[in-house]
Amino acid sequence: MEYIGELILIAVSAALINNFVLHYFLGICPFIGVSRKLDMAFGMGCAVTFVLAIASFLSWTFTYFILRPGAPLTTWIWQAASPGTEVVPDLSILNYLVYIFVIASSVQFVEMYVRKFYPALYKSFGVFLPLITTNCAILFACLEIMKNVSGAAPADVWGLDKSLTLAIFGGVGFTIAIMLMAGIREELDLCDVPKAMRGAGITLVAAGILAMAFLGFTGVDRSLAALLMD
Amino acid sequence: MEAKGNYITQAWLVILLALCFGGGLAGLDAKLSGQIAANKLAETLGQVPALVPGADKGDEQIVDGQIVYRAVRGGEPVGWVIPARGQGFADKIELLLGVDPAVQTITGVYILDQKETPGLGNKIIEDEWRGQFVGKSAGSRLVAITGGGATGSRIDAVTGATISSESVCNIVNATLAKMRPALTAAGGE
Amino acid sequence: MNTATPEAPAVREGPTAGERFLSGILPENPIYRQLLGMCPTLAVTNGMQPAMTMAVAVLFVLTCSNLMVSLIRPLLKPHLRILVFTLTIATFVTIVDRFLAAYVYEMSKALGPYIPLIIVNCLIISRCEVCASKQGLVTAGADAVGQSLGFAIGLASLATVREILGAGTWFGLRVLPEMWPDWVLMVLPPGAFLTLGLLLGLVNWYSARRDSGSAAA
Repeated sequence: MEYIGELILIAVSAALINNFVLHYFLGICPFIGVSRKLDMAFGMGCAVTFVLAIASFLSWTFTYFILRPGAPLTTWIWQAASPGTEVVPDLSILNYLVYIFVIASSVQFVEMYVRKFYPALYKSFGVFLPLITTNCAILFACLEIMKNVSGAAPADVWGLDKSLTLAIFGGVGFTIAIMLMAGIREELDLCDVPKAMRGAGITLVAAGILAMAFLGFTGVDRSLAALLMD
Repeated sequence: MEAKGNYITQAWLVILLALCFGGGLAGLDAKLSGQIAANKLAETLGQVPALVPGADKGDEQIVDGQIVYRAVRGGEPVGWVIPARGQGFADKIELLLGVDPAVQTITGVYILDQKETPGLGNKIIEDEWRGQFVGKSAGSRLVAITGGGATGSRIDAVTGATISSESVCNIVNATLAKMRPALTAAGGE
Repeated sequence: MNTATPEAPAVREGPTAGERFLSGILPENPIYRQLLGMCPTLAVTNGMQPAMTMAVAVLFVLTCSNLMVSLIRPLLKPHLRILVFTLTIATFVTIVDRFLAAYVYEMSKALGPYIPLIIVNCLIISRCEVCASKQGLVTAGADAVGQSLGFAIGLASLATVREILGAGTWFGLRVLPEMWPDWVLMVLPPGAFLTLGLLLGLVNWYSARRDSGSAAA
């Protein structure tokens, strides 16, 4: 029960309490650019979640088995090369290079998949699909995984389950935020917005109010933890 | 077919760059990693003299599977510094807890990392608030109260940040409950 | 496809170094005009110190990346050039990240994950694509410095408003009297969004007025 409780905590925290868009300011470019229509917003949210899942799986695998200090595969190769050495191999300086490769490949893969199975959706996305590579949310998920795999004490190292939960529910949170914004903007289209504020200006102000609303979720994880873990 | 061949031939630049950059970064790592590790350690060890009065350095030890620091002055043990973490109001709070050698009295609390509300829960890092913990008994459970005038095993909570204050007390209580038996045993050696 | 033939006039190569430098500061300001690099803008502007550290980091990464990409621009192939850009940027960001962790550890902790997120900052990739992959070293360098200055100005304007209203300080020095009730919301996420939205509206309004004023004249 405690194990499920921990996963639920990570999921709720990533989706609502520490929402990727409204708390960590990630993925603002698509948030402003793609949130005009509800169905495009939903499509973008799903695409981002898909990429997050693949990218986090790959980056966890690389970090756990190769990149972190004392990783199994690297240590094995190191021991084979110079047996009996005390040195702990640490490849974590290459973290960012590997993550960006992983993200670019994931986006490429998702692009091919969408082009093959959803050609109409692919056309409507246009240039925004490859632009997911520069979506901060995906790199941030990889960095969170890195923090909890490389930088954590041995007993607290995150397994694939927690990493995937964080990534997928982070994507769910992104989808929630972008769909909320799309709904608001569809209404705003009928309003008389001052000329200077049209476009990005009013979107940011609406995002600010949304962020205020999401601030109300602070502390929910504490109560959830007390509820689920006792 | 030509496109496929093109991909492979174009990839040589990417691979070459990756190798060059990787090599450069490895050199950088060799140069700077020592400094960074020292910074991380200084963050915790640097607080030992402040947390345990009279100590001039701390020695890292593993007690009961957890890293603690034995505060020493000139070779003589004068206390313990225990790193602890737990759930705060907004996110995790990490702190250092200083106690005397017999683990009877708290000698200090230092907040390492917190993400509490700025201006409200943030105030737990202030010297004045943390100073309340000095001298409290390590045997009784600490409780945060509102309204002021806390004595004995009670702490005045930060105005408007009751939960953050309670969280710090909870972390201190939990750590002491867990580590006290093991530390008294280790101190006896 | 984009190299000027010998007979073509020099102006085909694009704006000169001086033009690139000046346009990056206000006319093509990365934050207020191009709306790029919003993520760090909103995240690190809750104080002047983190904001300026970020500005310096972006200056370093942008300049080095622009110079490197400009150096290897004859070798770039269309399909994989974005990957080459991101690879270069990731390397320089790693360098900055390590330097900050080694020499200004506290600030590095305060900035947290936002330094590595410079890698996916649309601004840098955009400059590599638009300028560095097409023009020479000097122009690319001038472009980088100009855009970074513009970015720093944007960050500073946002950070000033947020820090003074939210904490009563500027660069850590107290500027408002103690009795000022800190608008805590300003240093929290909503404050970031609201401030940027309103400042953006202000900039748009001012430039619209200036344009209509010069058009009427």
